[in-house]
Amino acid sequence: MNDQENRMNVFSMRMIRGVGVWAAIWLSMTAATAQTATAKMVSAANTFLSTLSEKQRQSVLYSFGDEQQRARWSNLPTGFVPRGGISLKEMTPAQRSAAMALVASALSPKGLEKVEEIMEGDEVLKKNEANNAGRGNNGPPPGGGGPPPGNGANRPPRGGGLSGDMFGKDLYYISILGKPSEKDPWMLQFGGHHLALNITIAGERGVLTPTLTGAQPALYTIGGKTVRPLGQESDKALALLNALDDSERKQAILSYQLADLVLGPGQDGKTIVPEGLKASAMNDLQRAMLLDVIAEWAGIIHESAATARMAELKADINETWFSWSGPTTAAPGKNITAYYRIQGPHLVIEYAPQTLGGDPGLHVHTMYRDPTNDYGRGLVKQ
Amino acid sequence: MKARLIAVATILLYLGGVASAHRLDEYLQATILSVEKDRVQASMRLIPGVAVSSSVIASIDSNGDGVISEAEQHAYAERVLGDLSLTMDGNRLRPKIVSVTFAHIEQMREGLGEIHIEFTADLPSGGPNRRLVLENHHQNQNAAYLVNCLVPSDHDIRIIGQTRNQQQSFYQLDYVQAGVPGGPKPLNWWTSVRGWTSTVGFASLFRLGLRHIGEGTDHLLFLLALLLPAPLIVAGSRWAGCVGVHRSLLRILKVVTAFTIGHSITLALAALGFVHVPSRPIEVLIAVSILVSAIHALRPLFPGKEAGIAAFFGLIHGLAFAATLSELGLGRWERVAGILAFNLGIETMQLIVVAVTLPSLVLMSRTHAYPFLRIGGALFAGFASVGWIAERLLGAHSPGDVVVNSVAHHAVWIAGVLFLTSLGCWWQRNTPDREATSTSPSIERAQTRALERLAYLEEPLVVAAPKLPPI
Repeated sequence: MNDQENRMNVFSMRMIRGVGVWAAIWLSMTAATAQTATAKMVSAANTFLSTLSEKQRQSVLYSFGDEQQRARWSNLPTGFVPRGGISLKEMTPAQRSAAMALVASALSPKGLEKVEEIMEGDEVLKKNEANNAGRGNNGPPPGGGGPPPGNGANRPPRGGGLSGDMFGKDLYYISILGKPSEKDPWMLQFGGHHLALNITIAGERGVLTPTLTGAQPALYTIGGKTVRPLGQESDKALALLNALDDSERKQAILSYQLADLVLGPGQDGKTIVPEGLKASAMNDLQRAMLLDVIAEWAGIIHESAATARMAELKADINETWFSWSGPTTAAPGKNITAYYRIQGPHLVIEYAPQTLGGDPGLHVHTMYRDPTNDYGRGLVKQ
Repeated sequence: MKARLIAVATILLYLGGVASAHRLDEYLQATILSVEKDRVQASMRLIPGVAVSSSVIASIDSNGDGVISEAEQHAYAERVLGDLSLTMDGNRLRPKIVSVTFAHIEQMREGLGEIHIEFTADLPSGGPNRRLVLENHHQNQNAAYLVNCLVPSDHDIRIIGQTRNQQQSFYQLDYVQAGVPGGPKPLNWWTSVRGWTSTVGFASLFRLGLRHIGEGTDHLLFLLALLLPAPLIVAGSRWAGCVGVHRSLLRILKVVTAFTIGHSITLALAALGFVHVPSRPIEVLIAVSILVSAIHALRPLFPGKEAGIAAFFGLIHGLAFAATLSELGLGRWERVAGILAFNLGIETMQLIVVAVTLPSLVLMSRTHAYPFLRIGGALFAGFASVGWIAERLLGAHSPGDVVVNSVAHHAVWIAGVLFLTSLGCWWQRNTPDREATSTSPSIERAQTRALERLAYLEEPLVVAAPKLPPI
């Protein structure tokens, strides 16, 4: 009897100790994860700023009210449209990794992967263009008799040649508007050719709009792996189109061609009349598929902001429109060559393949906006 | 020509790196319109691609000094406006330049330069329904046009539709404007109601309701199948003799009213956004409702409870009506008027259909030919509904749809033939020699066999009739 009691005691002591250890581990883990997304971003921003020289810091920092810097983004290469802040190219390796850690803290893992693939694509483009330029310089272009009479060829050469300073994964610029803070609003910008992330932070809220993503080449091979930076955007939208029945397709497919983004860079604060198929006429599965397409943009930002954003867009879903213009098929593993737009009360997404460079499936621009809350204007007076 | 092609090809090769980054051989011309009460504003962005920029620049820089002066900018903007045709309700408008900004000539050469023209045009006063047309012929041979309209900030303006040609060189905007000048100012409640109803397109929604029932074969088929046994009474588990004109009419009235109440409730709830049900299951349920009423017409499933069934399935049909309405993208207040107009359209068409078929039903129900109509009609409805169920559930295309549609297309003729037939049957019933033929046992047996083949389990009315008290 006594023996048994003893054994019971030993057992329960062990049990208590075990639970205690696990509780301690769990508590310390939750304490670590309890650091909010904004707090993580602030500490990553401060770490990054502390690695910079005074001069670099001045280049990176803008006042929160600087509207010019806020709107200084584009789909174009940085050689054509200079960005604010400093580029990765101008940084030391330590500064560069601190800068990328700051970008990573603002994004979801998937969002970061997308951004890195866009940047890597620009590196591929740089190599392709360098090869082309090399061929071009080795002799007169085939069929070309002497220097072309047009103005284009006579213009002054740029920096390190045509492609030298035009493309590359280090030509991405980072800038901060306002002082990184857990309470007061501030903004992180990161972008270059085919990328413009405009992230406004206000307390725990994080706003990604307006953001531009793009890719050229939109399909490339690196280390034996085929990469499509915006492949999901293409595949999911095509799957949704295929899930529509004939009458729904008829409404969704516009009868005219769309050559480019309607609300691209510089078109802030505009709301156009929506067109296409309204999601209230879709079934639950189609609506879920539409939300899944939207998530490709809404999910770029870090998880807690993305969750809040998706909840907002889900509440709007019946007032959200889906429209399509162009071919309704794509070869397996290739991108669509059609334009599409998703528009709701708090959302504009445009996916616009670019005809130049031959295959429109290899060059795409996309835009992600919230006409009521671009740059967090709905949250913060700027 | 050849020299020019070679030149362009050479530029492209030289600019290999540049060309991949931006517009090539297109001249992008993107216009965003903004409609106000008495004017339209436009923002035009013009971006000549790298392969066309030199010719565009040459046409802008008229003195060829390599600088685009302010006078040259203005002259070019005027030229662009001259290549536009902007009309309101067919009347040509006179756009006036508000501002012109040009990118640097170097950027334009690289196919990056944007020309930005803002213009405005005063709108003549007109009725509530307005049509704005913008045609752009500027540099048509290599242009890529985009035209869009901003959501009007004036809540009195509601966009009805946008129409474009494939190239977007033609753009038509239809909108409705409330409180328009031109008509007298609303003085009493009636004129203001009239103004309001015209704003929300009351008449067009009424017509939409009419059309929805007129062309929505499934809604009609449900109602008609439910009305088939209305003039009959039940004997055991079969349909038997006729109940008399007054009671027939009363029953038909009850069924139609119940259906109306049912679908009005859900139409209002769904259109106002209180309930939301996906459309596919609704469409399937509607087909099921037709099947149920078809079976009921063959053999009484719920005798005496037709009104309740009509109300219940009316709830489902109303959800489908709401889906049609919600596709129009009306605002909440417009929706209230919209529901009213749309529902009135539905009721009107329903009443027309009932008014057309009712005399035939009542007349024929008092003859021995009625089982043919009832069973034939029920089988047709059943056949159609099974086809629809398969189609809506499995996405399979049923050949029945073609048959049903061709029947629906000739509905007026069929109704006419039906009425004449019923008149004929009625006349024959009232002629003395009918007794002899109808009571002839051989004919009766033949009829019985025919009807049994038609309805499988169904015993024809004529067999049961002798057991009943005389009508």
